[in-house]
Amino acid sequence: MPFDYLAIWDHRDILIDGTLKTLLISAIAIPAGVCIGIFVCLLRISNRRLLRWPAIAYIEIMRNIPLLILLFMVFYALPFYGVRLSGLTTGFICLSVYGGAYFAEVFRGGVEAVPKGQFDAAKALGLRYSFYMRRVIFPQLYSYVFPPATNIALTLIKESSLLSMITVAELTYAAHDINGRTFTPIETFATIAIIYWGISIVFLNLTSRLQSRIEMGPVSQQIAIR
Amino acid sequence: MAMLQNTSVHHASDAATVMVDIRHMNKWYGEFQVLKDINLRVGSGEKIVICGPSGSGKSTLIRCINRLEEHQDGDIVVDGIPLTADVKNIDKIRSEVGMCFQQFNLFPHLSVMENCLLAPMSVRKTTRTEAKRLAQHYLEKVRIPDQADKYPSQLSGGQQQRVAIARALCMEPRIMLFDEPTSALDPEMISEVLDTMAELAADGMTMICVTHEMGFARKVADRVVFMDQGCIIEESDPDTFFNHPKNERTQNFLSQILQH
Repeated sequence: MPFDYLAIWDHRDILIDGTLKTLLISAIAIPAGVCIGIFVCLLRISNRRLLRWPAIAYIEIMRNIPLLILLFMVFYALPFYGVRLSGLTTGFICLSVYGGAYFAEVFRGGVEAVPKGQFDAAKALGLRYSFYMRRVIFPQLYSYVFPPATNIALTLIKESSLLSMITVAELTYAAHDINGRTFTPIETFATIAIIYWGISIVFLNLTSRLQSRIEMGPVSQQIAIR
Repeated sequence: MAMLQNTSVHHASDAATVMVDIRHMNKWYGEFQVLKDINLRVGSGEKIVICGPSGSGKSTLIRCINRLEEHQDGDIVVDGIPLTADVKNIDKIRSEVGMCFQQFNLFPHLSVMENCLLAPMSVRKTTRTEAKRLAQHYLEKVRIPDQADKYPSQLSGGQQQRVAIARALCMEPRIMLFDEPTSALDPEMISEVLDTMAELAADGMTMICVTHEMGFARKVADRVVFMDQGCIIEESDPDTFFNHPKNERTQNFLSQILQH
């Protein structure tokens, strides 16, 4: 069977639109997920049950239901309660909220990896909780948290393909579209696989650069000198 | 409640002399009682050394003074301020009480200078210039003036502990707590830290030190407190403590620790 790559080339505008949309979704959902993650992590490590328990419930729910079901619930079920969101909005929200739970757990792991003595010293100096979390504890998290957080972000980029199921014209949706018009499944899906792979590679490159820039900062500089 | 108010008023009046007043303090970890009916009064400028076998509750006791550990029963009054769950009082006490730890606990991502600036600027609202002047002063005092731009891990253990002392002093505390400050140090670095502490004592600082350095206790302490199994067993001046210990457990402990 000859490969018909011309069919893809002819529909390149659909692919480009799809790719841009996938990038847009990731570019919003990942930072939003990180913000949610930081916030939920702070609730999760709180001493107060009233703050901690909702965070635990949120994390457990998000981690234990498939993203697709979450999308369906928001997109198809919420309209019955008068909440009608577009596919794209649903996608942004669900992906951020879903990723947020995973980010929260990674950040919590990071906070727990910081030696207890750091908290003792900060408290003994009279520093306020919000101040020492921001200036003493969180800056020490980067090296613990960066690799697993990168993994979660990468997963989110790839999971965004599920948004095709709720009419969002991102990359996977574009592939379905092209395949429907040309009936060239091999070429079409091979092409988007390569595009996803390309996005991931570029993303990993960016994050590893970012990481090494952070690690050029104080904490590892000292290690490098030693 | 009425009694509690009474005691706090009483202590406010003689705050000038009594810096730390612990009365009938008890603490449990779950079912296990770590501190049993602790009574300890520390006057202004006094140097107290607390010693005892490991697990006797020495560290827990001094960690209760700045609320790193919570006591469940009894009263603690620090510099006239009753230590309760009241966050305002805790903050006030912590800003008056400096502490040094066995593991130094310097902030590894901050330079020596930044370690010293953090608390004065954030808690005392000191200006950066003033805080820097203060930090420079105390770094000179602990004899590390030229390491201010280095990071903690570039320093030796002894240097790190002296930076930790300087960092605490930058808050100009009225009381200093030391929790086994030399236990994590290589032998050749112990004396530089003890010398710094002795100088601090000579300046009139109120000090409570948990340490196994009996030489330091002999030389610097006004009183030595011996603890075992969560109780204060014996409390006396160093001469009496080392030469005529009354309690059998104290005698045993001393014979073990002074053998070498």
